[in-house]
Amino acid sequence: MALRATATAWGAVTRLFHWGMLVLFATIIPIGYYMTDLPLGARKLRIYALHKSIGLTLLGLALLRLLWRFSERRPALAPMPAWQARAAAASHGLLYVLMLLIPLSGWLYNSAAGFPLQWFHLFNLPALTASNPVLKATAKDIHESAVVVLIAIVVLHALAALKHHFIDRDHTLRSMLVARRGAE
Amino acid sequence: MLALLLAGVAAPALPAPRYVVVPAQSTLTFVGTQQGEKFTGAIRDFDANIAYAADDLAGSSLDVTIRIKSIDTQSPDRDQALVTADWFDAAKFPTATFRTVAIRATPAGPVGDADLVIKGHTKRIAFPFAWKPAAGGATLDARVMLDRLDFGLGAGEWADESMVGRKVEVVVHLALAVQPVAAPKPVAKRP
Repeated sequence: MALRATATAWGAVTRLFHWGMLVLFATIIPIGYYMTDLPLGARKLRIYALHKSIGLTLLGLALLRLLWRFSERRPALAPMPAWQARAAAASHGLLYVLMLLIPLSGWLYNSAAGFPLQWFHLFNLPALTASNPVLKATAKDIHESAVVVLIAIVVLHALAALKHHFIDRDHTLRSMLVARRGAE
Repeated sequence: MLALLLAGVAAPALPAPRYVVVPAQSTLTFVGTQQGEKFTGAIRDFDANIAYAADDLAGSSLDVTIRIKSIDTQSPDRDQALVTADWFDAAKFPTATFRTVAIRATPAGPVGDADLVIKGHTKRIAFPFAWKPAAGGATLDARVMLDRLDFGLGAGEWADESMVGRKVEVVVHLALAVQPVAAPKPVAKRP
C-alpha cells in the first residue's frame, strides 16, 4: 500500500489517521460518559487527566490530518447519484469540523473551569480563558452536544460505507480498509 | 515634642501597639501545584490580632484565624474539593489558626515561632517576616513554605504528587492600622 492516495484508493497515511482516530474516539467517548459521575477524588482526577490527554492527542491528529488531506489527491468516487455525493461531502466536512470543535470546546471548558491542562504528565498547555462560570456552561454544552452529533454522523457514515460495499458493490469501503487484499 | 521623643527613648519601652488589618489592602494567599501548574488560593475571610514593636518582642504576637470556606482558588470545582474530608474537612475543622509563641530578632529580621493548626494537626513553624512602619500603621510581608502532608491535607490516594504537589507556599501581605487605644472596659461582674 502506498503512503499517498492513488486514483482508486486512499494511501496508508490517510488510512492510519482514519482508523487510528476512530479507535481513539471509541476510547475517549466512553471514558467521557463514565468519568462525570465518579465520586470526587484522585481517581476521578486521574481519569479526567487521561481523557484530556487523549483529547489533546486527537486535536493534534485532526490538525495534521487536515493538512495532509489538503495535500492529497482524492481517489475517484464510485458512481452515485449527485445527492449522495453531496451528502458524503457534507458529512465529511462536518466530521472535520467536529474533530476540531470537540477537543477545542473541551479545552475551553477546562480553562473556564479553572483547571490545569497537561498532556500525559509531560507538558502543560495554556488556558484559553480565565475562570468563567458562564463560558464554562456554554463550552460544556457545546462539548457534549457536538459528541452526540459526531456519533450520529459516524453511524451514518458507516452505514453509507456498508451500503456501498454490500448493495452497490463498489470500491468505496475497500478504498479505506486496512487489509491489503482489499486495497486496490 | 523633642523632649517627649527623648523621654520615650530613655524610658522603658512602651508595650507593643496593637494593629488591625485593613482588609481591602491585605492579601493572604497560598500557591499550590496541580497537574504541573501553579494555582493561587486566596483566603478571603480571616481575623488577625497583631501586636508588634521591635523593642518589645516579648509583648509582640501574631494571631491569625482563617475561615476555610472562604478559600477561593479561581475554580469552583477545586474549591468544592478542598472543603471535603480528603482535604481541609471544613465541616469538622472550619478554621485554621496561626499563633506565635515567641518572636525573635535575627540579623535578617524578626522571626516568629508559631503554632500552625490546620485540620487539627499542629506544627511549630518558623515564620520570618518583614515589618515596615507606614503612616498610621505598618505592613507585614512574609512567605513560608509548607508541606501539605504535615497537616493531613490530601493524604491517602492524594499523597502521590503527580496530581497535587506537596509543597505549598503561603504568601502574606497585611496592611495594618494602629488600633486606637480603647478606653478600659469595665470589668465584667460575675452574676
